Amino acid sequence: MMSAEQPSNREQSAIAIRNLDKWYGTYHALRNVTLSVKPGERIVICGPSGSGKSTLIRCVNHLEEHQQGEIVVNGVTLNDSLKNIDAIRRDVGMVFQHFNLFPHLTVLENCALPQILSRGTPRKLAEERGMQLLERVRIPEQARKFPGQLSGGQQQRVAIARALCMAPKIMLFDEPTSALDPEMVKEVLETMVALAEDGMTMIVVTHEMGFARRVADRVVFMDRGAIVESSPPDAFFDAPTHERTRSFLSQIVH
Amino acid sequence: MTSLSISHAHVATDILPARQAPPIKRMPLLKMLFGDILSAALTTGALMTILALMPAVQWGLVDATWTTADPAACRDGGACWAFVGAKLRFILFGLYPPEAQWRPMIMMGLMVGMVLVSLSPALWGRKLVIAWQVAVAMMLTLMWGGVAGLSFVPTSQWGGLPVTLLLALLSLGCGFPFAVFLALGRRSSLPIPSVLSVGLIETVRGLPLVGLLFVASILLPLLLPPTWTIDKLGRTFAALTVFAAAYLAEVIRGGLQAIPAGQIEAAKALGIPHWKAIQHIVMPQAIQKVIPPLTNTAIVMVKNTSLVMIVGVFDMLSAGRSAAMDPTWPAPYREAYLFVGLIYFALCVAISYYARWLELRVKAKDYR
Ligand SMILES: Nc1ncnc2c1ncn2[C@@H]1O[C@H](COP(=O)(O)OP(=O)(O)OP(=O)(O)O)[C@@H](O)[C@H]1O
Ligand SMILES: [Mg+2]
Repeated sequence: MMSAEQPSNREQSAIAIRNLDKWYGTYHALRNVTLSVKPGERIVICGPSGSGKSTLIRCVNHLEEHQQGEIVVNGVTLNDSLKNIDAIRRDVGMVFQHFNLFPHLTVLENCALPQILSRGTPRKLAEERGMQLLERVRIPEQARKFPGQLSGGQQQRVAIARALCMAPKIMLFDEPTSALDPEMVKEVLETMVALAEDGMTMIVVTHEMGFARRVADRVVFMDRGAIVESSPPDAFFDAPTHERTRSFLSQIVH
Repeated sequence: MTSLSISHAHVATDILPARQAPPIKRMPLLKMLFGDILSAALTTGALMTILALMPAVQWGLVDATWTTADPAACRDGGACWAFVGAKLRFILFGLYPPEAQWRPMIMMGLMVGMVLVSLSPALWGRKLVIAWQVAVAMMLTLMWGGVAGLSFVPTSQWGGLPVTLLLALLSLGCGFPFAVFLALGRRSSLPIPSVLSVGLIETVRGLPLVGLLFVASILLPLLLPPTWTIDKLGRTFAALTVFAAAYLAEVIRGGLQAIPAGQIEAAKALGIPHWKAIQHIVMPQAIQKVIPPLTNTAIVMVKNTSLVMIVGVFDMLSAGRSAAMDPTWPAPYREAYLFVGLIYFALCVAISYYARWLELRVKAKDYR
């Protein structure tokens, strides 16, 4: 298996993944994956369903456990040490396909409570920061509503605000727009573009190729648990080298 | 084959004005009662039941003796409600010294007040828990006395409605936190909490409550060293608590199962410590999802407290029964049981309505 690239200088990487292997029971879900992300870099991961995209980014903040290989986030190695896991989760925010907002809390509480629970931030400060970030995703007027009362696009923007409240250095997005109706995809993508323009380090699993072209520094194509191809968006879309990449692109780019 | 004929394109030129909704159609009464076979059958059945109950109405209302100081006046065949009036204090307070019965009265007032304060979820929190602990301490002090000039009243003299209410409230109140841990233990991947929880839940659920009460009131004193004298009411209370906990735990476990994995994943990704995530994210949602079965368990527990009569605890049902045994009255068992039944009914209906209100409040959060 060819690894896509060799990280030359691991100290500089925001995320360094080396020779990662992951099994679900006997199923080999990630196969010798190596990927490094520099600070401020934006990576888009695409690939067919079941290729291990979610699994890969969920390993980064230890929602899934890997069995072999190494993950280093901002110099902290991900291992069984709870201290390291906590440190990494402090630096890494995540946005999920199905938002995973807390339905029993208002939008503002969704943003404030995590700060209170994980950092011990005083409630007043936490709510102020929550309001600031709701303004940044342009829905401060929904602060007192419950998530179930918002549209999908609004919910996903709340989820982004909630993650940003923790002041992460890296953001992971797992198909943030694929559960949304078409007219709401745009508002979420715009929020993400704004975030990218602010210099956030991002790994985005998405099939929104327009977003990839516009924002990504590199597009990574995965298939059957391995990274098949990794190149800048122009090269990736206009001159894919691998046969599997070509057949995948022909299916999704119309 | 259908052929599409496109004749004239239609384009609305202006916005149609809003019009008033048509009047709601009402079903005629006769049609509602006898419109189809099922309605007709049900209506007929209901009418026949009412007819069959006429003698009971005759007995309970028409022929009844409502007020009399003379028990002999009650021998005409109608219900003797005068008996309930005469024995009211005994049924409500049992053997509690009459001159001190204001204490259980205040205790119940305090309890009702606290319950009313606790109804709104907006006030639920640590402060309310502390307030309840203080209130329960005050309630027990009122009942026991022995301090602040209050005469000491041993639990063997407690009786009637206060005992029923205390047992129901405290067994549910103490059983609940216990149940939360049992439910979490049962779902835990750690072997020891899981085995302990499953063992306890299944043992308790496998035993009839009466059996558990006997074990607590008769077997426990034999098994424990003789210096450990826990009084009978305390042991009964312990048995009820364990029983409530086992059933509540299964209900809560059902709620926990309904919480999607994404909730705990989001909490993890946000760096929320596991126990805080359980406390603030998972548990509140799990409990909101199981309000109806929780209500059911609460109602069952209120009524289950009447079983303590079997081990000789003087609750409201025992008090009603003893009152009816007074030979000066013409054995008014029906009246005593009906009256006591009415109080249970009122309690359970209140719980049920409260739960429905609570459920509507929760639903209001996630309309789509
Ligand atoms: N918890 C799990 N237990 C067992 N197998 C799993 C689990 N999660 C994922 N898998 C399997 O691992 C493989 C990779 O899954 P993953 O969710 O990472 O794919 P994906 O690329 O994100 O796909 P999609 O585009 O559908 O989200 C799939 O074959 C999936 O069935
Ligand atoms: Mg996925």
